[in-house]
Amino acid sequence: MFLTRSEYDRGVNTFSPEGRLFQVEYAIEAIKLGSTTVGIRTPEGVVLGVEKRVQSPLLESSSIEKIMEIDTHLGCAMSGLVADARTMIDHARVTAQNHAFTYDEPIKVESVTQAVCDLALRFGESVHDEDAMMSRPFGVALLIAGIDELGPQLFHTDPSGTFMRYEAKAIGSGSEAAQSELQDKWHRQMTLKEAQILTLRVLKQVMEEKLDQHNVQLAQVTRDKGFQILEEANLKEVIDEM
Amino acid sequence: MEILSYLNACGGHRLLTRIPPSFDMSVPSVHLASGFDFSNQIRNNFLAERGIPLPKATSTGTTIVGCLFKDGIVLGADTRATEGDIVADKNCEKIHYITENIRCCGAGTAADTEFTTAMISSNMELHALWTGRKPRVVTAMTMLKQTLFKYQGQIGAALVLGGVDSAGPHLFTIHPHGSTDKLPFVTMGSGSLAAMAVFESGWKPNMDRAEALQLVKDAIFAGIFNDLGSGSNVDACIITATSTEMLRNVEMPNQRAEKENKYEFKRGTTAWKKEEVRSLITSEQVTLIGVGDESMDTS
Amino acid sequence: MFDVQSVAHQGPQSRQFNPYTENGGTILAIAGADFSVIAGDTRQSEGYSIQTRYAPKVFQLTDKAVLAVNGFSADGKMFVKKVKQRLEWYRHAHAKDMPIRSIARLIQTMLYSRRFFPYYVYNILGGIEDDGTGSVYSFDPVGSYEREACRAAGAAQSLVQPFLDNQVYYKNQTAGQDESFPTHLPLPSVLKLVVDAFTSATERHIEVGDGLEIYVVLKRDSTAIQSMEGVQEVTTSEEGQRVFYIRRELKKD
Repeated sequence: MFLTRSEYDRGVNTFSPEGRLFQVEYAIEAIKLGSTTVGIRTPEGVVLGVEKRVQSPLLESSSIEKIMEIDTHLGCAMSGLVADARTMIDHARVTAQNHAFTYDEPIKVESVTQAVCDLALRFGESVHDEDAMMSRPFGVALLIAGIDELGPQLFHTDPSGTFMRYEAKAIGSGSEAAQSELQDKWHRQMTLKEAQILTLRVLKQVMEEKLDQHNVQLAQVTRDKGFQILEEANLKEVIDEM
Repeated sequence: MEILSYLNACGGHRLLTRIPPSFDMSVPSVHLASGFDFSNQIRNNFLAERGIPLPKATSTGTTIVGCLFKDGIVLGADTRATEGDIVADKNCEKIHYITENIRCCGAGTAADTEFTTAMISSNMELHALWTGRKPRVVTAMTMLKQTLFKYQGQIGAALVLGGVDSAGPHLFTIHPHGSTDKLPFVTMGSGSLAAMAVFESGWKPNMDRAEALQLVKDAIFAGIFNDLGSGSNVDACIITATSTEMLRNVEMPNQRAEKENKYEFKRGTTAWKKEEVRSLITSEQVTLIGVGDESMDTS
Repeated sequence: MFDVQSVAHQGPQSRQFNPYTENGGTILAIAGADFSVIAGDTRQSEGYSIQTRYAPKVFQLTDKAVLAVNGFSADGKMFVKKVKQRLEWYRHAHAKDMPIRSIARLIQTMLYSRRFFPYYVYNILGGIEDDGTGSVYSFDPVGSYEREACRAAGAAQSLVQPFLDNQVYYKNQTAGQDESFPTHLPLPSVLKLVVDAFTSATERHIEVGDGLEIYVVLKRDSTAIQSMEGVQEVTTSEEGQRVFYIRRELKKD
């Protein structure tokens, strides 16, 4: 793919003669450099898990934030350029708040995902002579988890602005191995606990370091308690159980 | 409304607009320049600046009409009385008695029309007794306009006066400021435009009694159904040289539909804070003093 | 009357255009256990003149929501149009009909967005909640709103609301021994109250009359409206709740 590099991989809004947008494809490639992130949907709720790469013993692992809350019933895990994700999540949060303000109800998981994807394609967009708002595509993929009247749902978004619903999804550097593991182990009537353990197992498989409560993070969205990131103590319990 | 603006803005020129074409106009007033005269408006603007606004014409929620026919006069009125946008009386009488052969419809402030017509009725009776003659419509008209003019429009009475006397049938309108018109068909009140439209299209000279009554009814209907200030029933009065017929509620096109529910309350529905039963019988002990034949000497 | 002299002599003059008109009429809504009744007369007036004897003030928004608007009719028409547009957009964005509580909140935000040039309109929204209960929401022109069991608005509000308070909330009525007032009235009783409210308002208010339009929003599985005369079903889809329409004549004087 990179062998066919040409004039057409510069402009974000120029198709190649083969009908490809190279910058978007490169952005998708950037995600494959990111840490592995896993999401699993169960009838009880959705589980999100991320690997936190602690490159230095001097790094405070608790300062690595790869799972974020969008609204009380919505959470999000990311892989790729984490800084880009902040812009998207901020947009998602505003959208969710605005919906609750205007309609007196929680926004649907799909609607907030759609709103994020609308933003993903804003690169190259400019009004008349003004400068474009965004210079390049976002280099990040998101797993958006939430619960609404249609039940627990998990969505995956990528830099092209495409989104799809999954029962279980892995993104990031170890995603290929992780995804096939998920395909083997996932079943329809999984409990939330089973999903937590499966998430950790999948992460453990693709991680170089030994998995502990400092280099992974787990979060879940349930009907009763909404979105929550597991405390280190709780996380340790699950790890021990695994 | 238009009466006021004529008075204030046009001054003497109001006369010109009102004089019938047959009037001799070869001697115009030497005091009047040609064209409109705005001298009063300067004064009025000055007064308005000092916080004395122009008097406002009272809106008259009513339709009243009068119509000349072969044998006399037909008067008509609706029966709605309003207080702002609320109906105060659904079946009031707006055709007032002046004398046996003269009646007067009133629009405007109810109290003003009732009181003024009653006062003029009394004075007409006294006048008839004093002169020993049958009362004339012009007499009532003159008394009314002089009263109203004296009060400078403060008495909010807009009247339709009609009757038959020794000089024949007469029909007048009298505005709250005292101006009068003598016409073969007239309307007044907020429904006057609706009613006048009927007259303008349907009136013709020498109608018979039935035709005239129907035309008056139609004129009042136009007011009842198209003017929110007018409503309910039609009253009419037919005055001829020989008789006066008061046709109270001659048409009733607005009967209330039957209610779906009965609104009766069980005994005890109204709460009370205390109960007190008092005897209304006062018993009294009477002791007679001095019995017998000590009655008063009335001889 | 045009006056050249006085204009020349006077100082600066201010002229004011009043963009609002009061077009009369009255609306009301009553909520039942599993239904909601929304009604309005059809007369539109200005001052002492009738502009039309048939101008609807009650509008079906969805199969679970009906909106009645009263006040300045031009604003009312425009407002309903905009609410309908927002409902359509919502359907496209979220693939469902907007729940009634969301419509209520939307109306608040739409009204408040015009806080300093308001829609001169009193709104009453009636329908069925997602939990299947009948509901009524009433609004002021700048968006203050409340869910209630019944509400009247418009020209004859001062005549109708006390009647409803007495007959729906049983205000100023004390129950007898071993007796209690119902929390919800059955549909036939509510319809009778609505008709009586309007025929009575027509008697005593000059701006009320000509025609009466009643909408009933009924929970789909309810049987309350079977065997009722002059009732027309106006439901638009198979799912959701059912909507019915009733028309009565009112006096025209």
